[in-house]
Amino acid sequence: MPSRRAFLAGLLSASATPTLGWADVGNPVALSAAMDADGRYLLAGLTATGDIAFSQPLPARGHAAAAHPHIAEAVAIARRPGAFAKVIHCATGAILQTLRAPEGRHFYGHGAFSADGTLLFTTENDIASGAGRIGVWERSLNYRRVDEFTSAGVGPHEILRLPGGTLAVANGGIRTHPASGRDKLNLDTMRPNLAIFDTTGQILDHAEVPDDTHQNSLRHIAAAPDGTVVCGFQWQGDPYAPPALVALYTGNGALKPAGMDAHSLHGLDGYIGSVSAFGRSYAASSPRGHRAFHFDQWGGLTATYPAPDICGLCAAPDGTCLATDGLGQVHRLSNDGLQRLRGHSLAFDNHLVALT
Amino acid sequence: MRLTLILPFLALPAMADVQTVLDDHILPGYAALAEATATLSDAAQADCSAQALRPAYHNAYDAWISVSHIQFGPLEDQALTLQMAFWPDPKDSTGKALARLSAAADPIVDQRDTFDDVSAAAQGFTALERVLYEDQPDSDYACRLTQAIAAGLTDKAASVAAAWPDFGDLMLSAGDDGNSRFQSEIEVQRALFTALSTGLEFLHDQRLGRPLGTFDRPRPRRAEARRSDRSLRHIRLSLSALEALAKTMFEGDMSDTGAAFADAQARADALDDPGLQGVADPAQRFKVEVLQQAVRAVQIAVINDIGAPLGITAGFNSLDGD
Repeated sequence: MPSRRAFLAGLLSASATPTLGWADVGNPVALSAAMDADGRYLLAGLTATGDIAFSQPLPARGHAAAAHPHIAEAVAIARRPGAFAKVIHCATGAILQTLRAPEGRHFYGHGAFSADGTLLFTTENDIASGAGRIGVWERSLNYRRVDEFTSAGVGPHEILRLPGGTLAVANGGIRTHPASGRDKLNLDTMRPNLAIFDTTGQILDHAEVPDDTHQNSLRHIAAAPDGTVVCGFQWQGDPYAPPALVALYTGNGALKPAGMDAHSLHGLDGYIGSVSAFGRSYAASSPRGHRAFHFDQWGGLTATYPAPDICGLCAAPDGTCLATDGLGQVHRLSNDGLQRLRGHSLAFDNHLVALT
Repeated sequence: MRLTLILPFLALPAMADVQTVLDDHILPGYAALAEATATLSDAAQADCSAQALRPAYHNAYDAWISVSHIQFGPLEDQALTLQMAFWPDPKDSTGKALARLSAAADPIVDQRDTFDDVSAAAQGFTALERVLYEDQPDSDYACRLTQAIAAGLTDKAASVAAAWPDFGDLMLSAGDDGNSRFQSEIEVQRALFTALSTGLEFLHDQRLGRPLGTFDRPRPRRAEARRSDRSLRHIRLSLSALEALAKTMFEGDMSDTGAAFADAQARADALDDPGLQGVADPAQRFKVEVLQQAVRAVQIAVINDIGAPLGITAGFNSLDGD
């Protein structure tokens, strides 16, 4: 029980800076960027039943958002190679702050908060050297940039807070330069990896993809409560000869491929869009193969579900997985299959971000 | 560039009756495949020599290429896509799987109910082509292998054709209680659009793009079914099949689409290069490149004609690529 003094202090600070929690904006369980029928971009909160809890405009197409752990505040990060990120008040839609990547940097579209919500971490490209960097921004200082550290790889894409408070970074391995758009400059030598850091940037572990599949670009990650990280890949070799496009990381520098045979990999264009960990199982989406995969806790493929342009996935509080597609559908993926919950006149963007 | 068709918003005028698509396109396509493979298998039993069997092989392969764009439903649910034809095959899985069987003279070819346990790459039309068009040192084993592949194709085609009427009922009863496969009619139409767009993309990127490679590095050995000189035939058949799908699934004005299909078909008809081996000859290559551009024009026309009035845009996520 808090002391009387702490209680009063809490009351005082609450009244001094009235902040709204996620419950105050309609109890969303996930965030997604989207485009509406008029072509306007927005950030939406989704409830557990697939309804829209709130919707706030975005100035341009988003990619993923970083959700504050308890305040109704989200950072929408521009798509690669954008250099802006907008801090959005999810109740009013006000843009509280604009983060600008430092000179010579751009964002990759993903970010994550520390467990206490004081720090925001963003994945970035040091354009001149091609080195991956993690930017550190302090919320209490109006999101001032206070630090940065190496991502321990090239092309860091998704960054994720792990259950223990550490950070996981998916280094995709692909060097790009804004001058040549999204052209891939180092396919012959790329070296993707998963890197684990503490919040000071100290590297704790590092798992490289094997030599013989070094063109398997690690892009998206999700964590189970036990700290297992499910990894989703985008194969840069022949799209009809991909290795497994999903793997599990359980520590000790190793990535264990999930069970995907030639049939399950056929027609995916070597491309996994999102992954999710939920209820002692895992899911992966292939928007180009128009299907979602369900894996058991050991990475065995248990089911495949057809769904056009499906991409966003995230764990829901009830132990199932929410899924979204570019056609406005919100689905629930569970042991009962893929069920459509709601349809909206929206095109949901690539990623669902769980509010946990 | 990928041009996948999807439907972002809920507006569907001018869609043809799903019953029509089933009755005029999908069900006859799979029935024809079942019939042609049964004929192939009967012919293989009567005379398994390559020379005798090639006409039935061509007929059955034609039937497959004319319906293989309808992958959703029983074909995917029974995981038979690759078993029917294993292509593209950049690792030569077919050659390796057949070599393993032949080297061991594996008697599994004599067991019709377990032959589907062998590598998918050894089961389909791509495997049968090798056996019928490459030298077979052990003619007895080649005969039994031919019969096994032909019988397996018959069984698979029969199984898919038998499952289609029930799956068609699911398409027709979209949105009914208990129909978890299609929870609304719009999902059926999305499945059809996905089949059309994926089929056109496969034609452009794989059937044409793979042998074309780049100007500096053409890849004639990557042409589909080049051993039996069927590469161009597959392009013509799939153009016809995709045009038939477009016309049965959409009732509005699609004059540009019709013209684009006609232009692509005319360019394919004019090519005198059944195995697409001309891609390595700069003078011939040009014509294949023009054909590929004509297929791209079909993709764009389909987006404009069918897509725009229905609110269809290019895939929001599948095209984003990040």
